Amino acid sequence: MEPILDIQKLTKRYGPKAALDNVSFSIAKGSCFGLLGPNGAGKSTTMKILTGILSADSGSVHVFGINAFKQQRNVQRQVGYVPQEITLYDKLSANDNLEFFGRLYGIKGQLLKKRIHDVLLETGLLDRAKDPVKSFSGGMKRRINIACALLHQPKLLILDEPTVGIDPQSRNHIFEMIRHLRDNGVTIIYSTHYMEEVEVLCDDIAIIDQGKVIAQGTLDELFASYAQKAVFVEAEGPFQPDSIHAIKKSYPRNHGWVLETDQPIEVMKTILDAQQSELKLKAIEMIRPSLEDVFLSLTGTRLRD
Amino acid sequence: MINIVLKEFKLMIKEKGNVFFLLIMPLLFIVAFGSIFNQSSVDSITVHVRDQDHSSASKAFVKQIKSLKGFKVKKDENSSLSSQIKKIKDGDLSSLIVIDKGFEQKLVQGKGTIRFYQDSAQASTTAPIQAILHNMANQYRDQKIAQSLQSKGLNQSQISQTLAPPIQVEQISENSKHVDFMTQIVPGYTVMFVFFIMISMLQRFIKEKESGMIARLQGTPLGSANYLVGMWIPPFISVLIQCTVLLACGKIFYHLHLGDPLAISLIVVSLAFCGTGLGLGLSMIARSQNQGIGITQLITLGGAIVAGLWFPTELLPSFVQKIGYFTPQYWAMQGFQDVMLRDAGLSTIWLNLLLLILFGLFGLVIALFRFKPFIRSAAH
Repeated sequence: MEPILDIQKLTKRYGPKAALDNVSFSIAKGSCFGLLGPNGAGKSTTMKILTGILSADSGSVHVFGINAFKQQRNVQRQVGYVPQEITLYDKLSANDNLEFFGRLYGIKGQLLKKRIHDVLLETGLLDRAKDPVKSFSGGMKRRINIACALLHQPKLLILDEPTVGIDPQSRNHIFEMIRHLRDNGVTIIYSTHYMEEVEVLCDDIAIIDQGKVIAQGTLDELFASYAQKAVFVEAEGPFQPDSIHAIKKSYPRNHGWVLETDQPIEVMKTILDAQQSELKLKAIEMIRPSLEDVFLSLTGTRLRD
Repeated sequence: MINIVLKEFKLMIKEKGNVFFLLIMPLLFIVAFGSIFNQSSVDSITVHVRDQDHSSASKAFVKQIKSLKGFKVKKDENSSLSSQIKKIKDGDLSSLIVIDKGFEQKLVQGKGTIRFYQDSAQASTTAPIQAILHNMANQYRDQKIAQSLQSKGLNQSQISQTLAPPIQVEQISENSKHVDFMTQIVPGYTVMFVFFIMISMLQRFIKEKESGMIARLQGTPLGSANYLVGMWIPPFISVLIQCTVLLACGKIFYHLHLGDPLAISLIVVSLAFCGTGLGLGLSMIARSQNQGIGITQLITLGGAIVAGLWFPTELLPSFVQKIGYFTPQYWAMQGFQDVMLRDAGLSTIWLNLLLLILFGLFGLVIALFRFKPFIRSAAH
């Protein structure tokens, strides 16, 4: 599929420290791309360079085939950016805030009113349009924060940690909004340090750590490449994990054992056969790998560390 | 740009502190100081007299003081002389005229004595009383000479000619007749409070920066120049409104003579340009809100003193007056007073306007040079 965004060898330094070190990735049109990494990994810096807020030291960014560094305004008109901070005017109403952001993109009059109505409907805050933003909950502010970036109907939406510090209800509402936008052909870049969000929302993922992209691909590709399949077993009786063929590594967890293997089905069959003789099995399940495992495998540290 | 202007006006209206700081507070100052100084200008100077002679001559002397415009006599003979002198020593009484017993008798002999006790620390209050005492003594002397000349056979006309002073002082007021304390207080506090707009501007920029709004706006098609001008226009207009309201209140409630409307309007526009231009420059260079507020207070309050906004600049030491020439407040105040007191027009105040605009341009140039670094620092 034609890439809508292509980043090549992007580098940004703050003094001796490299915030971004030869970062490269591309995003297919209409996909939801997850940029996953711990705090300080370089996610926000990447987002800010894409939107022209920061300048890169070297590298290139092409959005819709346009050189983003040379035709910044042209790119900005087609991109929606939702920063990590809630950047709204607290004392103004939701409507006033949306009017302000709409006019920044040249939308006026009836069209602006219609777009404001549409995004308020989308965010579920139509009945709060005239209330000052300061009276909103954190989740509601986050939703309006996103709505401000949708008024000009961008083809590419960049979301930088849009769910930080909000309640599950608002989080689900934001997820629904993102899915709806993707279904309508909007390409989305979703930056987060919550791996669960990436697993739920994103088609393609890049894992970034210390300014470098350390892995990228679909969720399945990442699991296949970096996560170890495993089986969890809890049993009473003389259970000897090492005696089972095809187990690469085993270690205790809770009241049972984790058995790492490339052939989980065969291992499970072996254990079930053994149960019929001397083993009293209490639980057996295949462990689904997670992005946490991928990150651990790649960096030796956990994402939340 | 209009979008930024509209948004800023909406925020200004929502921020109730702005109305208080820009309008209500200066009005309170004008009303308070106007009341104090207007009151003091009509009050008489109280002359404390202790008449221990109670003769017709002593009573005539006291009556003569009473008859002087601007003076009123307070006789206090219930307390002892020593306790009254103690009051002067303690600073509770500024002066006391004592007419000793036997005053009339000594006056006939040409040796009349009046004792004048005064607190030297309150010389400015006692000086007018001292002056009228000398004046009255001279009048008594003239009467004595006249009586002597009359006894030597001179007629009234010859006596008057002899006693007439060789120098006549003719008082001619060249300035307008509108002089009163309000021509000091209204323009003074108007000019002073105009410069407080710098704090409002600084706070707006710092809030925009710290909230991440400036960074977000950089990711939109909004041009930097549009943003800067859009942030500057609302405070500029609010200063125009502020000056108009304060001067109009002076006109309506204190009958302040405003002079040439065009000249006054141009001073207001130049002053607004100056205050907001400097405010914009300060917003770009201040490293923190506290630093910016400190600088503004130095400019506003320090400028108010040396530029003669609180009291006429002529009362200040000459070196302080010279420092005042380097402040925009001085040129604004002088411009206002030239128009209000001397009915000056554009031909007189053009230099004041030019200097105010130059001060404003200085601030704008700083803002233009510092805007990019300011924006860069806001991006992180």
